[in-house]
Amino acid sequence: MDPLLLARLQFATTTSAHFLFVLVTLGLVTLLVYLHTAWFVTKKPEYERLLRFWGTLYVINYVLGIGTGIVLEFQFGLNWSGLSRYVGNVFGAPLAMETLVAFFLESTFLGMWIFGWHRLRRGVHLALLWGVALTAYLSAFWVMVANAWLQNPVGYRIEDGVAHLTDFGALLTNPALGSALGHVVAAALVTGGILMAGVSAWHLIRRTPDHDLFRRSLRIGLVTTTVATIATVGFGFAQFVVLATTQPTKLGGDPADSAALIDEWTTRFGPGDYSPPAWTGVPLELMIMIGFGLLLLAVLVPLCWRDYIIRLRFPLYLLLFAVPLPFLASISGWITREVGRQPWAVYGLLSTTDAVTPASGGLMLASLIGFTLLLGALVVANWIIFARYAARGAHPDLALGRPVDDQPAAPRPDPALV
Amino acid sequence: METLWYALFGLFFATYLVLGGYDYGTGLLLARTRSVDGRRAILNAIGPFFLGNEVWLVAAIGILIGAFPFLEGELLSGLYPAVALALAGVVVVTVAVQLRSRPASPRIRTAWDRAVIAGSVIAALGWGAVLAGLLQGVPLQAGRHAIGVGHVFTPFVAAGALALLALVTVHGAAFLALRLPAGPADHFARLGRRLAPAAIGAVGLAAAVGALSDRVRAAVQQPGVAVLMLVVLVTALAVAGTAITRRPGLAFAATSLAVALPVLLVGAATWPYALFSSADPAAGITVAEAAASDPTLRLLTWAALPLLPALLGFQLMSWWVFRGRTDGRAPVYW
Repeated sequence: MDPLLLARLQFATTTSAHFLFVLVTLGLVTLLVYLHTAWFVTKKPEYERLLRFWGTLYVINYVLGIGTGIVLEFQFGLNWSGLSRYVGNVFGAPLAMETLVAFFLESTFLGMWIFGWHRLRRGVHLALLWGVALTAYLSAFWVMVANAWLQNPVGYRIEDGVAHLTDFGALLTNPALGSALGHVVAAALVTGGILMAGVSAWHLIRRTPDHDLFRRSLRIGLVTTTVATIATVGFGFAQFVVLATTQPTKLGGDPADSAALIDEWTTRFGPGDYSPPAWTGVPLELMIMIGFGLLLLAVLVPLCWRDYIIRLRFPLYLLLFAVPLPFLASISGWITREVGRQPWAVYGLLSTTDAVTPASGGLMLASLIGFTLLLGALVVANWIIFARYAARGAHPDLALGRPVDDQPAAPRPDPALV
Repeated sequence: METLWYALFGLFFATYLVLGGYDYGTGLLLARTRSVDGRRAILNAIGPFFLGNEVWLVAAIGILIGAFPFLEGELLSGLYPAVALALAGVVVVTVAVQLRSRPASPRIRTAWDRAVIAGSVIAALGWGAVLAGLLQGVPLQAGRHAIGVGHVFTPFVAAGALALLALVTVHGAAFLALRLPAGPADHFARLGRRLAPAAIGAVGLAAAVGALSDRVRAAVQQPGVAVLMLVVLVTALAVAGTAITRRPGLAFAATSLAVALPVLLVGAATWPYALFSSADPAAGITVAEAAASDPTLRLLTWAALPLLPALLGFQLMSWWVFRGRTDGRAPVYW
């Protein structure tokens, strides 16, 4: 089989899986920061219970964010050695920054936050969560710097057959970066908000205990979703303006610009098919449809008055069924952005054919099947656990933040501490 | 400047093996502990450190991508099967440790524990195979690509994989001897004392197989340094084995050194090569050739290096906050 196709498939599956978890991580951590800060300021126990419940879900989701992320990081070297060889001088720097100054600290802080409950001073504990959130955003920033460079390479020159960095500032002010970063971050907030509203709606529909608790998180989730959806749609449409100049062949930009660019490439790189697959318009339309659909959820906000949103019931069902939508829209957006760049790994600079490792089809196939099965099984297991915890509600013996005295003294008969 | 970044890469990767190594060592020692309490105690022991350990690997590969992009592509793809094995193990341990206590059913928890054990063994074997693969070189052709994967499957790679597995097991026992409450700690101290000679044997076997391998002999550019480090490694293991019952702190320091040394040994022995070519020495990639060009290294040096004290500081903070032996009041999460 064609190693290039297999390598692309593997990258697409790993990235999509990673993206689903990252969205929830980024969205929920922002809401956790709000809950933790509110608890710190007001000292109300209900905020602590909300924090422990949503924090547990956040941490469960984080697990596969790391799992898929590590595979993704290694894949650059394993399957795309041509990419590092030719443009690594430029593309590698933001990725190195991401791992060193963002992810490294994010996980270190998170470990201390999870285990530091009742052990650290309240202010230090809160500061750790702020640290987790800020480094998560920093992480998103650096990854998008790297991605924007693949979309629109800037700040480099070619010498001795490889790209060299000339202007790092240009990478940071890349027109392909700003609105895309805003779009992704806002989409993450939509995802976190809908998840919070949807899970709360489920509890309110089932009339589980903790009505007040889920009433509060329903409101937080709904307001977040409304505000963030407006931002997502705005940043989304802003990108069309950028694309018209940076990537005319994507999404059927001005046909004249597109044809001129393809002519230029044909002269430089020889004849070939330089248009992305025509079907990339389909996920784009799906995403736009979902985006407008989610905008309509804004009409539910006034229903919070006198709890009509809960008493009428049907808004709760709407929110529950909306939970998969941001995930679907995000994957569609991702496919539009990435497949729309074909046949290029780096737009107008390096084709995917030249970027892929010259390995045999058999090896790539084994790697694709092996890692897809492994990650697939872990993802499914993770989602089952996530759903069970979401359904159990803010149970007092959640392991996260359990008071130390509640723990049975050793020797423990059954430390089945869930 | 590339030497500095090569040293930093070595430092991060060696630190990962030391910290991740006790995760895997304790992970596979779950197999020696069938009781629910015993397994809970082991998981509590690594608990607060677990998330902060693996980040060293992610950062090491990040340094490789940023400062040695050319090497990154050829190293990882040149040792594809070994790297994929290590990666699979790392992912399984990462996920299984963090999820095993979430289901309440003892049966499902036991299944996750098996995944932790299997993942730990695979990760240790995988990293041993990667290090051994580096020490025997990769058949880079004139285009500086290695074709095929058959070159990875040699007796030396197998011996190297087993040696690192043995090292990591002793290291895990030393960690538990240092960290668990007095009773169970003694159990693992005695286990560590019995395991240390076996680890010396495994390291000796790998050294012997390596000395007999033409490829390893050709790839080792600095035989004196290699032998010296091997001696230090064996001494460290011997010290760990004798000290573990009375002075677990010293034993843990010794096993930490023993787990870090293979990285230093591979880096120093093949110097000036970062990736030796067993097919055509002229196609080998030296550290200077492997490095990113000057503007990139300057950028990383100015932007990332000043932050290193902060990275280290927060790790130290986490070790300090959760220092000492675990007891009944230790936070339980994993």
